[in-house]
Amino acid sequence: MYNRRKFIAQSAMAAGSVLLGSRALHAASMDVAPVQYLTILHTNDTHSRLDPFPMDGSRNEGLGGVARRAALIEKIRGEAEHVLLLDAGDIFQGTPYFNIYNGEPEIKALTQMGYDAVTIGNHDYDGGIENLAAQMQAHGRFETIVCNYDFAGTPMENVAVPYKIFKRGGLKIGVLGVGIELDGLVPANLYGNTRYLDPVAKANETAALLRSKGCDLVICLSHLGYRYSGNKISDLKLAAATSNIDLIIGGHTHDFLEQPEVVRNKNGAEVIINQVGWAGIKLGRLDYRFERGKRGKVERANSLLVTKKTGE
Amino acid sequence: MWKTEKVDGYLRPKVDQVHRIKHHFFYLLVCAGLVACSRPMLPQQLVYSGYNISAANATDSTLGKLLQPYRDSVERSMSVVVGNASATLEKAKPSSTLGNFMADAVLQMANKKFNRTVHFSLLNYGGIRLTQLPQGAVTRGKIFELMPFDNLIVVQVLNGAQVQELLDFIAAQGGWPVAGVSFTIRNKKATDITIAGKPFDVQQTYTIANSDYVANGGDGAAFMRAIPQVTNGYLVRDALFDYVAFLQSQNMTISANNEMRINHVQ
Repeated sequence: MYNRRKFIAQSAMAAGSVLLGSRALHAASMDVAPVQYLTILHTNDTHSRLDPFPMDGSRNEGLGGVARRAALIEKIRGEAEHVLLLDAGDIFQGTPYFNIYNGEPEIKALTQMGYDAVTIGNHDYDGGIENLAAQMQAHGRFETIVCNYDFAGTPMENVAVPYKIFKRGGLKIGVLGVGIELDGLVPANLYGNTRYLDPVAKANETAALLRSKGCDLVICLSHLGYRYSGNKISDLKLAAATSNIDLIIGGHTHDFLEQPEVVRNKNGAEVIINQVGWAGIKLGRLDYRFERGKRGKVERANSLLVTKKTGE
Repeated sequence: MWKTEKVDGYLRPKVDQVHRIKHHFFYLLVCAGLVACSRPMLPQQLVYSGYNISAANATDSTLGKLLQPYRDSVERSMSVVVGNASATLEKAKPSSTLGNFMADAVLQMANKKFNRTVHFSLLNYGGIRLTQLPQGAVTRGKIFELMPFDNLIVVQVLNGAQVQELLDFIAAQGGWPVAGVSFTIRNKKATDITIAGKPFDVQQTYTIANSDYVANGGDGAAFMRAIPQVTNGYLVRDALFDYVAFLQSQNMTISANNEMRINHVQ
């Protein structure tokens, strides 16, 4: 009797011993390499801080500056295999650069540094939704990602996308974005006809879609804020109420987190949350090592080992 | 079952079956591929590094060149010294030296520019955009950083109940910058309220100077939307400039007034 299972087992042994050393098979398996590395660099709430804080005796004197950030990013690109460069919103407002130029040099700087994607913060509306769309269209060469603002009939309609899949090496990285509730935070004449949708429902829906499209990592760029004392939706609450999100790059609350927070999502799987203060004082770097594994009932079989590098 | 025979001392499939192995070999590779692909790439290890960006970092010249024309023009208009701070002013809750300075500017200038008696002023805490105003020369640019928004000063007339609601709201927020009013926060409510030097009287109406941002419901103050606004196009930032100019004209500096206008009691 023909025993297929046995055939496969025996053939695999025979074929394996013959072919493992073969260059042809090695080349063919490049796209299914067993280990992949990915480096995520991120900022949030840079608030038009193009220059370092002036040397005036203030707490942050001499810190930040985009020319330094750009050099650091270049250095990291030279040593990392694959890089994704992200920002979690509030690019605009905070120095006279914005009062005079309405965000033009800020967006040009992000483009020059090679940012891959940003989400929208409440202050990015400060010059009005028309200005935001115009600056992004004229000077932005990166994705503007937000899934819980309905831009239908607004100038942002053809500028922003709900998500984007980036390919790095053999990895597919899905990025979605969530924005904060605008009513009561941003003057209505500035955000125009933007319709705010429930960030939990939209993030859940979008993350599931990205997972179903085969994304190895799902990142949520969030301008909701890290934590609040009340019921207001935050990154911590979003992480606990959703599934399929692996990493939340947050903003809005200007929290300088000592290291990323590891929390559980609604299925018990790990979600990493990070935020690097404001004003471009800090650049966050997350070096991921990927291996083939089983995504079990709780999305993930293994716990992610998170360590912090010191002395940076 | 596969028949085997010994060839050169090794166990091998019998020659008449080798073609079957070859035939199935492609199928085998496809299977192996499918098995590998059905096992997703999972993050197994994560190393975090937080880089502080300071003078120790190298500078990218391309970006420096890109910014230069913008920087030159910003510096031309923003480096003008408009005043002087005799101490470093700090932003904090429930009251702070920086908050007191800004609310004082709004109260004094609103009285002048609206030509009427304004009892007290307020600003939302999030509207202070610097955590510190450092001691020394204060440039035009520094005032812009402190108050980058083009918010207008609006004058509103509130009845006693509306004043209580507003101050309770400020208390629940942990304290906002105010001038002309003082109170104690008890259980997130405003108590022991004093306005313009007198105990609060719920039967009275009061005139306040507010920013249009808060008056239009900003920072969660939705209840303020119902209250009519008087406006004359005067910006909060212009009140800061005019107040600092007034201090200069009196040979006075921006000083750190640490009066605790709002207090906490557990």
